[in-house]
Amino acid sequence: MSYPSEGALRRAIAFVAALGVAVATYIAIEAAGGDAPTCLAGSSGCATVAKSSYSHVAGVNIAVFGIVGYALLLASAFFANDLARFGGFLVALGGFGYSVFLTYIELFKIEAICQWCVASAVLMTILFLLNATRLVAYAGNEAGPVAERA
Amino acid sequence: MSGTDRRTQLLQLAAGAVFLAVAVVLVLIVVNGSSSGDGGDAKLEGVSEVNRKLAGIPQQGMVLGDPKAPVEVVEYADLQCPYCKAFTEETLPPIIEKQVKNGEVKVAFHNFTIIGEQSLPAGAAALAAGAQGRGWNFVELFYKNQGAENSGYANDAFLEAIAKGAGVKDLDKWNADRAKFTAEVKETSAEAQELGFKGTPSVAIRGPKTNGLEPIGTPSSTGDLEKAIEEAS
Repeated sequence: MSYPSEGALRRAIAFVAALGVAVATYIAIEAAGGDAPTCLAGSSGCATVAKSSYSHVAGVNIAVFGIVGYALLLASAFFANDLARFGGFLVALGGFGYSVFLTYIELFKIEAICQWCVASAVLMTILFLLNATRLVAYAGNEAGPVAERA
Repeated sequence: MSGTDRRTQLLQLAAGAVFLAVAVVLVLIVVNGSSSGDGGDAKLEGVSEVNRKLAGIPQQGMVLGDPKAPVEVVEYADLQCPYCKAFTEETLPPIIEKQVKNGEVKVAFHNFTIIGEQSLPAGAAALAAGAQGRGWNFVELFYKNQGAENSGYANDAFLEAIAKGAGVKDLDKWNADRAKFTAEVKETSAEAQELGFKGTPSVAIRGPKTNGLEPIGTPSSTGDLEKAIEEAS
């Protein structure tokens, strides 16, 4: 099986993670100002989600955790070693899992959809796939894909 | 350690992490799912939704809307009654959104306790919240978290959680007031019976064209209630 080059994967991870930092920062800034992110088409879902009890963990807005997670993923894209590959995979896995949980909460508990949260969930899903591909293709390998070498 | 060994080890760790992540997400979903329907969980449903919906609408006691509104809709309800929940969540919102917000109609919540013994303290707790201007927040939040009839969920801890979620500021006063309002719950229940009501929710209406408070039964739809309001106006 052929994989994209690690350089291409790292560039893609850096780009998507940068978008994630921007989205999470926007949500965090709006929340810090006592507002909710503005939903498109006048939907009130963002306000409902942002003001729900699920928007904070231990008193900290989850968007702040999002910023940290995306920043770590962005940082992992700058290094081509196993620590970056495995670390990036773990962070993306955690972010993806939490996104699944939050999407469940939005759909079945809060019964409101925040478009910014969906955007973040999509970005985290992409990052999980990219980091999983990177780990599977390049773990333990400094020179190139194991599959390609074999 | 060779690159191949390291790769094998990392992939095994990754597989373990995936397994762990799936397990954690499933546990979180199951834990949150199981706490949704019993109504007794401290993590209430719909707190922000209810408080946002009622934000800016005047409340005096259990009356929602401008006290000078010409038409008054009086709902006789039991907080444990699922039909009352449906009436408040499905029939009333368009009326609140239009006629209550623009000052044409006010809606009063009167207790008519018929379901079980917890209905009386629940009703009194709502009135105590009403004394602090959060009566309707209490009622609507109670409905959002309503459990099965007479399942025992509406205990003191549940009522206190509802009061907190409804935004009752002085919980000590609310607690002290609850016993005082028991008599009023009994009075409005007797009033409902005098009006000929047998079940909940039942509605009466008072306006310029009614002869005092007139019973209209249970409106089957928002349209029916709008028609009654129009006739009373």
